[in-house]
Amino acid sequence: MMRLATAGFALVAFVVPMLTARPRPLIVAGLIGLLLTAVGITALWRWPITVAACVFSIAYAAAVWAAPARPSIGSATAFGLSLLLMLHAAELARCTRRATGAAGIIRSQTVAWLGFTAGTVSTALLVMALAAGFVASIPIGAAPLMAAAGALGTLLALAAMARRPGA
Amino acid sequence: MTRRVTPLAGSLLTVIAWSLSLAVLTARVELLFVALPLALAAATLARRSSAPEYSLTCDVSADRVFEGETVTVTISVTAKSALAVVILRGPLPPNTELALGHHRRAMSLRPGETGSCRYEVRAPLRGAHDFSSVIVHVRDRWGMRAWERRHVDRRVVHAYPRVAPLRSLPRPLHTHTSIGDHVSPALGEGIEPGDVRQFAPGDQVRQVNWRASLRLGALYVTQHRHERNADVVLMLDTLAAVGPRHETTLDLGVRAVASLATAYLGRKDRVGLINYGGTIDWVRPGSGRVHYERLADTLLKAAVVFTYVTKDLGFVPARVLPPHALVIAVTPLLDARFTKAALDLAARGFDLVLLVVSPVSVTRATLPTSPINELACRLWTLERRAALAAFRRHGIAVAEWNPPEPLEGALATLARRRARMAIAG
Repeated sequence: MMRLATAGFALVAFVVPMLTARPRPLIVAGLIGLLLTAVGITALWRWPITVAACVFSIAYAAAVWAAPARPSIGSATAFGLSLLLMLHAAELARCTRRATGAAGIIRSQTVAWLGFTAGTVSTALLVMALAAGFVASIPIGAAPLMAAAGALGTLLALAAMARRPGA
Repeated sequence: MTRRVTPLAGSLLTVIAWSLSLAVLTARVELLFVALPLALAAATLARRSSAPEYSLTCDVSADRVFEGETVTVTISVTAKSALAVVILRGPLPPNTELALGHHRRAMSLRPGETGSCRYEVRAPLRGAHDFSSVIVHVRDRWGMRAWERRHVDRRVVHAYPRVAPLRSLPRPLHTHTSIGDHVSPALGEGIEPGDVRQFAPGDQVRQVNWRASLRLGALYVTQHRHERNADVVLMLDTLAAVGPRHETTLDLGVRAVASLATAYLGRKDRVGLINYGGTIDWVRPGSGRVHYERLADTLLKAAVVFTYVTKDLGFVPARVLPPHALVIAVTPLLDARFTKAALDLAARGFDLVLLVVSPVSVTRATLPTSPINELACRLWTLERRAALAAFRRHGIAVAEWNPPEPLEGALATLARRRARMAIAG
């Protein structure tokens, strides 16, 4: 069942870039992502799913790049959620393989996913509101540097959380 | 309890790093929002975690079974704190198989809730099976942290060899003074008539044989034979074995020994055991139900241990191999060292019976049907017949058992012949 959920979320991650733009290389990248997901689901390996998520990200980035209109933040959040849930469902499928009684886990997990989705959408709206206030005060020339520094800071903070002894 | 951050956190960080890099490179804010849910999930690692609290019980329905029987394992977990994902891995020892259910169970428990896992395990082969450890694997809601603990509570299930009921048994030529089921050549108290002689002072009236007395015109009495027990030593050849898994000549030999031991102990005889192989184990002759368990426990350990060393039966103490004991050697006769040991016993005057577990029929069952295989098996059978004839020429009683024929059939002819010898004294 968790494998099906993984496949479903992978399909969402494949479709969302297609709704944004539809150049041929994008479809190819999406199909490669689906293929990697299929390998990951079949063999219950973690790395093909991770690579598939990265490939889907490339496809989405390309779609956003090529999109005639500015895509919505909502679709970006939905795409991000589909990647997260795909990774999470694959991990659950991996750790519950050859185990009975996974139905109970699916039930409780679905509730948690719905709650998390609501929380993420709220956070995205909050972030957008805060960013709209700050954006005017940032000089145009420093913006790329600030973005890079912010991204690096976020990554380092998350990595530090994962590596701290009490984690 | 061990605690660790799962590899999923690494996967999330990889995808976050990738998305943020793309966002910075393409200068598109949408890609930052792609990374947002992943970052929020990864940020759950910031929360200080406490080890999951639960209590666990594991019950195994029986601690002694026969080969092929099943035991039911029931594991219960009661959560004291919320357990988002619990994976129970119950014991499934090597050389056992699942008969019903599954030994892995995943569940999600709220505080105070109890989850259980129930399955049946079949032990197709004799042995001491370890059901001691249960592994509990707990994950948090987002699969970022995992805790694992191995609960060890010593629990061993003994699977004893299957026992076939036997009625025809080789009778010992020598008996003891203790009361048993064997009719002794010696005359005395008993219910089995032995001889008729003239009345002598001291004879009881109830011993008078009235029919003989009337016919011969004088008082005659019937003498009876003693009913005694005997020492029986079962000698199992563990030097070599052939055949499919769970049905090797050694497995069949162990079952034969267990059946013989049960039958002789049922007749109040004292039964001993020698495992003759790479290592020699023995059990002194004894009687009773507790003694059977001693024999069965030794049989559980019977295995082929490869060695070039020839073990000398002279090292076996006389208490284990009493001089007048009936020795039943159970062997497939695959190793010349056992042949030598058997001939040595016969030469030392032991009352020896050879029960040969035929490796030909066991091997034939595993081979595809082809003229060459048939021919090879026939040649092998002829060679073995010649070997058995050589034993018979040495005066050793030999019975050949061709599984899956019943053991009773192999012993029946031998039992009849030896019964006559035993009564004749």
